[in-house]
Amino acid sequence: MADDQTVATAAGASNTGKSRLTFADVEVGATTAKAGKRAGNPYLPQIATVVDIIQETPNIKSLRVRFDDPGVQAGLSFEPGQVGQLGIFGVGESTFAINSSTSQASDHLQFSVMKAGEVTSALHELHIGDKVGVRAPMGCGFPVDAWKGKSILYIMGGIGSAALRATINYTLEHRSDYDNISILYGARTPLDLTYKYNIVEWEARDDIDAVITVDREFPGWDGRVGFVPAVLEEMNPNPANTIAITCGPPIMIKFVLQSLQKLQFGDDQIYTTLEKRMKCGIGICGRCNIGPRYVCVDGPVFSMAELRELPDEL
Amino acid sequence: MKFLTTDQLDAFLGYVAGQARVVAPVKDDKGVVLFRPWAPGMPVELDVLLSKQSAKEYVFRQSETYLKFGYTMEGLAAAQTESPEVAHAAATEAEVAAVDVAKAQDARVKAFETVVVDPVNEAPAQVIFGLRPCDVRGFVQMDNVFSGYGGFYFDPYYNAKREATTLVAVTCRDPRSTCFCTSVGGGPAGTEGADALLTQVEGGLTFETFTPKGEALGAFPGFAEVSQAQSLYAETVKETAASRVAPAFDLEGVRDQLRENIEHGDWHDLAMRCISCGTCTYVCPNCYCFNITDEIVETRGERMRTWDNCFNPMYTLETSGHNPRDIKSNRFRNRFSHKFWYYPDKYDSLLCSGCGRCVANCPTRIDIREVVRTMGSPRPVTVTGEEA
Repeated sequence: MADDQTVATAAGASNTGKSRLTFADVEVGATTAKAGKRAGNPYLPQIATVVDIIQETPNIKSLRVRFDDPGVQAGLSFEPGQVGQLGIFGVGESTFAINSSTSQASDHLQFSVMKAGEVTSALHELHIGDKVGVRAPMGCGFPVDAWKGKSILYIMGGIGSAALRATINYTLEHRSDYDNISILYGARTPLDLTYKYNIVEWEARDDIDAVITVDREFPGWDGRVGFVPAVLEEMNPNPANTIAITCGPPIMIKFVLQSLQKLQFGDDQIYTTLEKRMKCGIGICGRCNIGPRYVCVDGPVFSMAELRELPDEL
Repeated sequence: MKFLTTDQLDAFLGYVAGQARVVAPVKDDKGVVLFRPWAPGMPVELDVLLSKQSAKEYVFRQSETYLKFGYTMEGLAAAQTESPEVAHAAATEAEVAAVDVAKAQDARVKAFETVVVDPVNEAPAQVIFGLRPCDVRGFVQMDNVFSGYGGFYFDPYYNAKREATTLVAVTCRDPRSTCFCTSVGGGPAGTEGADALLTQVEGGLTFETFTPKGEALGAFPGFAEVSQAQSLYAETVKETAASRVAPAFDLEGVRDQLRENIEHGDWHDLAMRCISCGTCTYVCPNCYCFNITDEIVETRGERMRTWDNCFNPMYTLETSGHNPRDIKSNRFRNRFSHKFWYYPDKYDSLLCSGCGRCVANCPTRIDIREVVRTMGSPRPVTVTGEEA
């Protein structure tokens, strides 16, 4: 018969000091935008208005939204790499990285949406002035403070750029805090490159090393051609004092991680941000787990060292 | 401890029903025992050991609307009143049709200008009567998840109902062969999470309370003082029942071995006969995964959550077609690892209270005890199984 001690040991309980919350510990009825983790109703979206729409590629739009409650918008802050649930009442919600700059949090949030399923297709139908529901910010951002003094290498593919844009902007806005900054960005074709206005800026700056590549030759493209992992190996970045951050389709991430190992990057020098099918976004509904970690609350940012501990369910 | 004579049971339930909704195990005309809202005159079934489903539905609803929303249509009326003049100016039928389309689009844009959202959260006071101690522990284990244990989020929908609920347990006199509560830290007379516990003895039931909610029920005037004989009888019933629950596995080291065996090919062999029906997840008093969906008719809609099932491939299927748990054995592994490894990592407890409903109701006779014994102990090295 299992006594309390055996159960506690088997379950890993020690004197953890963890406890449950009650209604007295939260702001009853408040959204995550108002109260963060103390939200009394983390399922309740904060109503926002679409204030700008940018057609990034033939199938990707950036939606800039502003909360209708000016106090909520003014009081908002987030970490680069955090995400939000953007949704239309009557269709549903999906998780997107917040890709606007943290420095503009009190003015707006921006999400980039690739038209793919029900929610994203409906989001593509929106006009400026339409209402959306937003639950943000959520999840954990990148440890940008811990990276001070280091070189940063961004490796991204396709719409993976959306998940890193806020972090890129952050490190560029705090440029003197970091050593070299390099950006390797690849897409299937030149048409699929997002944030072309940022690419122009990155390429023009002499304090950023930007390498843009497309998967195969394309009429009018005189830039680099090749898959991201191969181009990364050609770039042969020096791993010394460098953090590599990657985001893109799962298959790209898989090969980039292999290339980074070949290049002698340690597991604690490699970070990625993951995507999963999500519903609640607050670590309850269950589906976005990889082993014991939930992408929505423990991630979406993970170091390679953390991923090594988890089952192969990326 | 108090005593309730058998003929006072209905009066007691009637007394409780005067203050709160009573939910109790009731046998339907097909002989299936389920927790149902009780009304005076309904016989409560305490002799059948386990209800077909746990009572979790009364706190964590199988399907629950949690937001209602409505788009205002003022813009539509304005767009429609503009229409006659515009239509009059159009010369041909085609032009009229074109104007109508433009008008409809314009109306849609204007009509969707504002949305009003109302959270829905109804939590009437209720007493769930006649729970088995394993089902009570099911609530305790779900409490961690929904109450932000360890710094996570607080779920107002679950907690409103949970706070308004009193749990009255009944000692299991006659455990089944599928019961294994004692292997996971419980027992047939377990009191963890219970507000009160009844034990069937000669002529009636002993009544013990553990919380203010339980004590409030003790105010029923029909209780008698318990005799020493009745009290001793209750102790004997409890001890006898505990001795009749067969040890299923040794918890020691299970979590470490699950971690160790994560890629082991035996997961494939164990999962072979699973048909992914999800019955185990629906009858489980601890499984809490849910889906969220929207429904809308015209301009009024609802957002609801509904019990989900991690055996369904759709559960993790992404829009791109990528599925992180695309083979059955990975989904199978997820449920058992969740209960004995993932959940314990986060919540310092187990996500199984040993009721055995999954064992009794599985159409292919998959037995969680066998899975834990197999994958929770050192395995001989094999090649990882491939699924056809």
